[in-house]
Order: sequence, then structure tokens, then C-alpha cells
Amino acid sequence: MHMLDGYGMDTITMAGSLEAKLSAMKSAGFSQVMLMARDLVGHPGGVEAAAQAVRDSGLRPTGFQVLRDFEGLSGHLHDYKVDIAKSMLTMCQAVGSGVLLACSSTSRHATDEREQIVRDLRKLAMLALPLGIRVAYEALSWGRTVNDYVTSWELVEEADCPNLGVGIDSFHIFAAQSSLDALEDIDPDKIFLAQLSDFMWHDTPTFEDRITTARTFRVFPGEGVHSEQLADLVLRLERMGYAGDFSFEVFNDDYQQLPLNTVAERARRSALWLHQDVLHRSAPLPTWTRQR
Amino acid sequence: MRTQTHDRESIPELPNRLGIEGIEFIEYATARPQALGQVLEQMGFRPVARHRSREVTLYRQGAMNLIVNANHDAARVESAQDGQPVLSAVAFRVRDALKAHTRCLDLGAWSVPSHAQAMELHIPAIHGPGSSRFYFVDRWREFSIYDIDFKPIPTVDVQPPALEGMGYFGVVQYIGAQRSADWLTYYEHMFDFTAIPDEERFGILPKGKLMRSPCGQFLWQLIEPEPWMDAEDTGECLQRIGLGVKDVGKAVQALKARGVEFVESSRLHPEDRGALTRSMLGSVAFELVHQDR
Repeated sequence: MHMLDGYGMDTITMAGSLEAKLSAMKSAGFSQVMLMARDLVGHPGGVEAAAQAVRDSGLRPTGFQVLRDFEGLSGHLHDYKVDIAKSMLTMCQAVGSGVLLACSSTSRHATDEREQIVRDLRKLAMLALPLGIRVAYEALSWGRTVNDYVTSWELVEEADCPNLGVGIDSFHIFAAQSSLDALEDIDPDKIFLAQLSDFMWHDTPTFEDRITTARTFRVFPGEGVHSEQLADLVLRLERMGYAGDFSFEVFNDDYQQLPLNTVAERARRSALWLHQDVLHRSAPLPTWTRQR
Repeated sequence: MRTQTHDRESIPELPNRLGIEGIEFIEYATARPQALGQVLEQMGFRPVARHRSREVTLYRQGAMNLIVNANHDAARVESAQDGQPVLSAVAFRVRDALKAHTRCLDLGAWSVPSHAQAMELHIPAIHGPGSSRFYFVDRWREFSIYDIDFKPIPTVDVQPPALEGMGYFGVVQYIGAQRSADWLTYYEHMFDFTAIPDEERFGILPKGKLMRSPCGQFLWQLIEPEPWMDAEDTGECLQRIGLGVKDVGKAVQALKARGVEFVESSRLHPEDRGALTRSMLGSVAFELVHQDR
């Protein structure tokens, strides 16, 4: 049991090879990693070699990202997305991840009809089920129909599949200025992923602002201007009984230009801030105290 | 006077949207078809026909069809399982195979591509747990699908009677840890199976969750691993076939006389409610379950 066991980095935060990222995370004291499909398909040895690199690292996959724009399509677009989903699920399974992240649709070709969205989410969950994969459905703050966690939870509840839950992402909550009060309505066991990040300004009024900020200038928890809200979010999740992981979903163009160990060290500082200053969790006792 | 109690008490009809009407066949995959055939013959099955183009044999007793698939692809599945035979498929009788297949794909099932050769039947299938498959067969009333793909073995009775009236009772599926809710939902959603309350149990191995097919003709049992088990023992697969029989004692005697051994320990032994055969070839076991037909 290590202090950072409940926290992990996302490979999207750093530049470099998969092996270099895994090694930097491990050196910083992390024991889990949120992977993305590009880690696998962009690996010079292919998907199997990438999966082997993850196994060799000893890091546990937090989840696998990301399936986009799945729900609400019809006809050939729907069939195409089902094929994409199957490929993503196959890779997710190959790398040993138990969670696939699916983001709410931004497509203008997708319907806003709830019934069909629910049906598609249920279908995605059924596709994932025999593979032993859980689907975390996350509301993007620029999602076309679903753009706050309240709606994503309502749809997940309606779809009612044991392996379908929500992904909570602090960035989207702050960007859309969603109230945290509705968190209490969510069954904590149905939060399959909690992704944390912050940013450096207060307002992102338009979808364009949100997209640009989200993709280029997120920072680690404790580094941005929403630290109080982020602490509030994490404490609320803890009080609800959320027992899952916190992973740092930090897209940042600057971090892509820094040495990997420097970035991983920032992530470590952030995890320690959450662990000690926010959650007030104690450091594990030394091993000798548990050996009697 | 109306005597329809269903109307009076408004008991809802259980949905059966695929029109499932029992099990058409169950398939084993193996690279050692003779060895498995011997085991099946001990259990009362008789080889009755061989596939026209592949190394596949049809065994039968009473209403039960059992296929032994030693074709290259199937044998490869088996070699991944330490060389032991695996329960590789269950075929359901349905109202309309194409409609059943299409409906399952619409709900999120993974389709299995067909490898039917010229003039052979294309039987639509979806992936099941582990490496297994579920087939859909609709042409079982007017003629036998085996007449097309199989050639009868000369001089053999193609309808051998069932030993002590045995018939398919159900299938036991091993599932991963904390996966009961997942699989219960899957079967409910795909096939309209319904969960049976935990108090209602059959046979001598009551563990896990039990479901009933919408036609009421067979059961499906889901068993999670024990918490202390290693990761390699916690995989998901179809594990064994349950055989329903009116008189378990008589069936046990008849099978023992044919050389079948049963698990006999202080905790688990043949009794009126059921019996379990010792595993043969490392993985092949049958469970007898008392059933009033």
C-alpha cells in the first residue's frame, strides 16, 4: 500500500514513447495509468507489444480512452461507430483495462432523442459486457445534447446496465459551471472513473473556449484557479462513498515540451496535495508495524 | 364459464422475443475426437452422422443432439485451454434464425462470421462467454438441419433412445468475480431469460445464480469463482451440461455399469436430487438433475 495508490496520470499529458511515459510515472511513485488508444496503435511494435509494455511496467490500467460520438447516430453512421467501438473494446481488453471511457456526442448528425441515446448506451454496454469491460459515459462540456454530468447520469440510470456508469471530469464541471449539489443523486458505485484537472482562468463561456482550453491548457489539481471547487468535488465524492480511482486528465501543450520526469513530478505534487491537504488521509504506516 | 386463471389474476406472459423453443444442439471442440467420443458413448450418446466437409461428428440420444467439432479452428480453441475439450457452442431453437440474429446484433451482440461451404447451411451465430458461441436454428420442425450438412453413419440407428430418459436440463457457465449482475442482465436482455429466486434450486450443486429460458425448457446457471482463487482459475466459459432425469438413482446405476464414475465425497455424492460425474479428459463433466417430466 502506497500513498499514491488511488491516483494516476494519463498518458495524454506527456510526450515520448509509451515505455518512457510508464517509466516516468512509476519513478514518480504512481501505480496506475490511464491509457489512450494512440499509445497502442502508435507503438512501433503494434498493439500487442504496447500491451506487453504496460504489463511489464507493473502499472495497473485505470481505464482506456476514448470512444467519441457513439450515441444518437442512425443508419450507416451508427454501423460505422459500432465497428469503431468494437475495435476500441478489443484494444481495451488487450491492454488489460476494465474501463472504457466514452464521451458524449458532439456530432450534429446525432439525434437529441433520449430514447435512442439510451438505447445506444445500452448497446455499447452489451458490446462491452462479454469482454468484462465497464463503460464510463462522460459528459463533455461541449457535448451536443449531453453536456453536464446530471444529464449523463440520468441517461445511464435509464439505460440500467450494471456495466454502464458515468465518468466524472472536473474540467467539464468547472467549464460548464455545473453545480456540485446534484452529485449526491449519483450512486457512488456507478461512478466508474473520476478524472481531475483544472485550468488557469475562470470563464469559458463558449463551446470554442471550452474546447481550446480543454485540449491545450489544463493543469494538475492544485495548479489552477478552481482549487477550492476541486477540493470540494473530491471531498463530496469521498463523502458519497466513491471508492474508485482519481486520474489526472491533463491536456497541456507546455507539458508536452517538458522532460517527462518534470511533468510526473508535478503530478506527484498534485496527488500529495489531494491526499494530504484535501482528503487528510494519513501516510501508510511503515511495514514493520504491520508485521506483528 | 371462463376458466382462464391467467386472465383472472392478470399474470403477465413472459416475453420470448426470439421465440426460443429449447436447445437444438450443444457443441464440444476438441483435438481428440475419439477420446471425447468414448466419454460420450459411456454417457449414452451414440455417433449417428458425420459432417460432409469437416471433421465434425453428430452424437445423439433421445432428443439430445451433441456435436463434436475437431475441425482445425475448433481444435485451436481447445489448444488454448490446455488441450482439454471445451464446451464451444449452444444452439437455440428459435422462431426465425435471421430475425433472432439481427435482434441480438441490434442489442449489442458480436456476430460470428460463417464458414459454410457450398450447399451447406449457414447457421447465424453470436459470440458467447469466453471463446464460446450461440447459434440460432429455426428449421427444426419441418426437417433436420443435420440432413443437409451431415451424412448418416451406415447401419447405425439415427434415433437412439435416451438412457433412462435423460434430456438437456441446462448449462453451467463459470463467470468472473462479481460478474453475476452483468451476465444476468446480458441474458435477460439478449434472450429474455429470467432469474430464478435464490430459494429455488435443483440438483446437488446449488451455487451461484440460476436463470430460466423463456420457453421454460432449460436452465442457465452462473457461478462466480471463490475469493481465494488465482487469476488463472477465474476465467469465463461454458463449464458443463446438466442432464435432467426422472430417477437419478437408476440413471447413476446405469451409467456406473457403463464405466462412468461419480464424485463421491462426504459433501458431494449421488443422491435423489442429483449427481455429478467425475471430470473426464480434464474438463468434461455431466451433472444429473432430478426432473419430473
